[in-house]
Amino acid sequence: MASYPVFLLRRFGQFLLVVFIGISATFFVTHLTPIDPVEESIGSIQQMGQSDPRAVELMRQSLRALYGLEGSIWQQYLHFWGRLATGDLGPSLSAFPTPVSTIILRSLPWTIGLMTVSTLITFILGNIVGALAGYYRKNMALKAVSLIFIAMQPIPYYIFAFVLIILFGYVWPILPINGGYEMNTNLNLSLALILDILKHSILPALSLILVGTGSWLIGMRALVSNIITEDYVVFAELGGVQKRRILRSYIARNAMVPQFTGLAMSLGAIFNGTVITEIVFGYPGIGNLLISAVHAGDYSLVLGLSALSIVGVAAAVFIIDVLSPLIDPRIKVE
Amino acid sequence: MQHWKKLAFGVALATLGLMAAAKADDYTSLPRKETLIVENPEGTIKNPGWFNIWVNGGGGVSTGLQQLTMDTLWYIDPEQGLGGSTWDNSLAADKPQYNADFTEMTVKLRKGLYWSDGVEFTADDVVYTVKTQMDHPGMVWSAAFSVQVASVEATDPYTVVFKLKKPNSRFHALFTVRWNGAWIMPKHIFEKVADPVRYDFANPISLGAYKLKAYDPQGKWYTWEKRDDWQRTSLARFGEPAPKYVTYVDPGPPDKRTIAQIEHNLDIIHDNTPEGMFTLKEKSKTVDSWFPGFPFAHPDPTLPAVIFNTQDPTFQNPDVRWALALLIDIKAVDMASYRGAATLSALGVPPTAIAMKDYQAPLQDWLKTFEIDTGKRKIKPYDPTVGQQIADILRKQPKFKDQIPTDPAAINTAFGYGWWKPDPQAAAELLEKAGFKKTGGKWMTPDGQPFKIRMSVEGDTRSVFTRAGTLIAQQWAAFGIDSKAVPSTSLWQTSLQPGDFQVAIAWSVETWGGDPDLSFFLDSWHSEFVAKKGENQPPRNWQRWSNPELDKIIESIRKVSADDPKGIELGNDYLKLVAREMPTIPLMSYNVFTSMDTTYWKGYPTIADPYTDPVPNWANSRLMMVKLKPAQP
Repeated sequence: MASYPVFLLRRFGQFLLVVFIGISATFFVTHLTPIDPVEESIGSIQQMGQSDPRAVELMRQSLRALYGLEGSIWQQYLHFWGRLATGDLGPSLSAFPTPVSTIILRSLPWTIGLMTVSTLITFILGNIVGALAGYYRKNMALKAVSLIFIAMQPIPYYIFAFVLIILFGYVWPILPINGGYEMNTNLNLSLALILDILKHSILPALSLILVGTGSWLIGMRALVSNIITEDYVVFAELGGVQKRRILRSYIARNAMVPQFTGLAMSLGAIFNGTVITEIVFGYPGIGNLLISAVHAGDYSLVLGLSALSIVGVAAAVFIIDVLSPLIDPRIKVE
Repeated sequence: MQHWKKLAFGVALATLGLMAAAKADDYTSLPRKETLIVENPEGTIKNPGWFNIWVNGGGGVSTGLQQLTMDTLWYIDPEQGLGGSTWDNSLAADKPQYNADFTEMTVKLRKGLYWSDGVEFTADDVVYTVKTQMDHPGMVWSAAFSVQVASVEATDPYTVVFKLKKPNSRFHALFTVRWNGAWIMPKHIFEKVADPVRYDFANPISLGAYKLKAYDPQGKWYTWEKRDDWQRTSLARFGEPAPKYVTYVDPGPPDKRTIAQIEHNLDIIHDNTPEGMFTLKEKSKTVDSWFPGFPFAHPDPTLPAVIFNTQDPTFQNPDVRWALALLIDIKAVDMASYRGAATLSALGVPPTAIAMKDYQAPLQDWLKTFEIDTGKRKIKPYDPTVGQQIADILRKQPKFKDQIPTDPAAINTAFGYGWWKPDPQAAAELLEKAGFKKTGGKWMTPDGQPFKIRMSVEGDTRSVFTRAGTLIAQQWAAFGIDSKAVPSTSLWQTSLQPGDFQVAIAWSVETWGGDPDLSFFLDSWHSEFVAKKGENQPPRNWQRWSNPELDKIIESIRKVSADDPKGIELGNDYLKLVAREMPTIPLMSYNVFTSMDTTYWKGYPTIADPYTDPVPNWANSRLMMVKLKPAQP
């Protein structure tokens, strides 16, 4: 463990490099799209009846300066990093001059709420069913449940989203199919609001849970299948230790170590949002925000959302890497 | 009572209290009979707390902000208007007064108008609006003022004098609402702000008859409340607005808004699909529409057309453009796009009521005798009976037969007059005249290349015109031209402005609607504004077409005032020119399927009482507030 500080430093350097490369790539990709935020803004202004060609050209120049889009792409790139270094994501270009951070913070809680809950439910459900199915391999009920989740796992989650909308929005219309809350709800914190938000999150969460559970289940079942052949499990069984205790204390606890690594990565990826789910259900999260930003050519907002996602995933992986040698004695830092 | 029962009772009471509190402020808690609920077609607003309409800051405009709280000097209604005129002196007391060479405009303002915070509206507000925007590039009207205004001053509290950099007989258009206009800023608020560009104008004060009551922080709805002192606003000249509250909502996807209206929870749907409108008419006994029967919809003063990129060598020859026009079967296009619910136009002007009177009807005789030379013969391409034919087709459908007018005048109003006859033989002759050849069933360009056309359409975002474009491309393909429709994301920004298209379904003609002056779009068609190939085209000449004869017409219009009858004569010259040259193939008006539920309110604008455009995101829709009456005691 003497080399751990060196490992930590090296790993932190890698983390910074990944973030730098990821954000740089996003910067250039967004700036190379054919959609120009200045033209988008001019389009909006033209809708207000302005068509004087001389004025439009002057407006184009003004907006380019106002949005910080003057100069070469390299100058803009350096300017962008200079601003980001101070924690400033800049103003949104489609909602100028509102800061990108303000707009993201308005949508982020919705995504974090939806994704955290659905990820945790998926994780818990998948691991419990996976552990049971791996241990009680002859149990027909567990086999059937596993088969259902595994069969659903390769199906794209938006297919489930549409199926759920048809079932619970039209055939048996008991759940809302659009938005994060009822349109006429007061957003002051109250029990009614919380219940309403929960009600609106059921179908989007369900579409993620139905598909996501299978992958945790497969992983856990495979881990358990390997562990049950280990000597200490065989000895425990021969020694007459209760099956429930063997599963809980001998098998599941060991199998959970890599699963928690996966959970940490999934939680880090929460900042990616779930674009299609949010669009299908009209959910007011960052996935929806990202799409509207792309359509509006809002570089700043796309970059802000991408930076959040890149830092989230990279940080999750970094934390797992640096904690693993401390938690798991089988991992050595060389 | 046992402790646990007390506790349970307390929790239940608190829960009920919380739920009641949660309902206290939202718009559904308002008395329904006093509340008008309107669809905001902008959907959910990205930056809901942004009310600074003078900066394009992602806040809503059609949330009621421009319709109910803003005001400016003049309005031209797209329909007949109130008070016997489409022209309305709103904040101004009179029409604009120009000097002889149109370099100076004087405005007399109304007295006794007040902002909602009790401060009087004066000439200082107008001067401040102009100067502030000129001083802050990037504000919505800053560029427009900067290129035109040399100076502006208030000569007394109710008089403003503009000196212009160049003669301009239409300078007042900036302050004249059609859909929108240069709204007047409250000087006493903005002058205290450090930077008007970065000020959100939260808690906006109003110059209109309503003021903000509440809005959803997630941008789904906005509620406005009638001002106690509504008599001190410009709208008061027409009477007291009836709805105490007006809410603009994002009601969700089309099916949801249709259901909401069937259940009487949404008074005005801004726009629907043709199919959605047919469903509403079938399912609801309380729904009004502009036309009581087919085509139901309101014709916007906008003219969707097949737009050629005339900087593409293939489309520089009018014979080619005419050939392509003669290959279109407009009846099939109408049925495919609007399911027959369209108002056709063969001329380069949208078939709104005033344009029917001043342009479409007077030019019918000219159209009937109009000839084109195919190179082998002269043909008369106009068929004056197309509107009648479409009415006859629709009448054969049992579902609609009783809703189709029979009176020829009503048919013309609803479906348009005539259109060009499909004539493949003449089209072939015109293409051959232009040097094209047909080889092996396929048309080749004069330089021996396959004649390929890619028709840019907007896809799902404007499905009616995507269907039209797709069918037109198929009709050309059936004739032997390698033609197909291609969806283009952000058609205007990625294709029309940069000129990165061959042919597109879009519009480059928009008129005032209720006024025959064509300068609203025509001035920007002058050749001085045509961009070089590869450069961005300023609006609205997306076809990048120039013609010396057109320039002369535009220059003549510039020299006469907006209400000079000479303008209509010049407008007719323009229409004849574009019929001969065909830089765009006009198709039909942009029909907006607005539906209005009469359960709680009556007195909506319709063709029978066309006092304004029914489409509720237009600022003119403020006129509805004074014409609506409660439908229930």
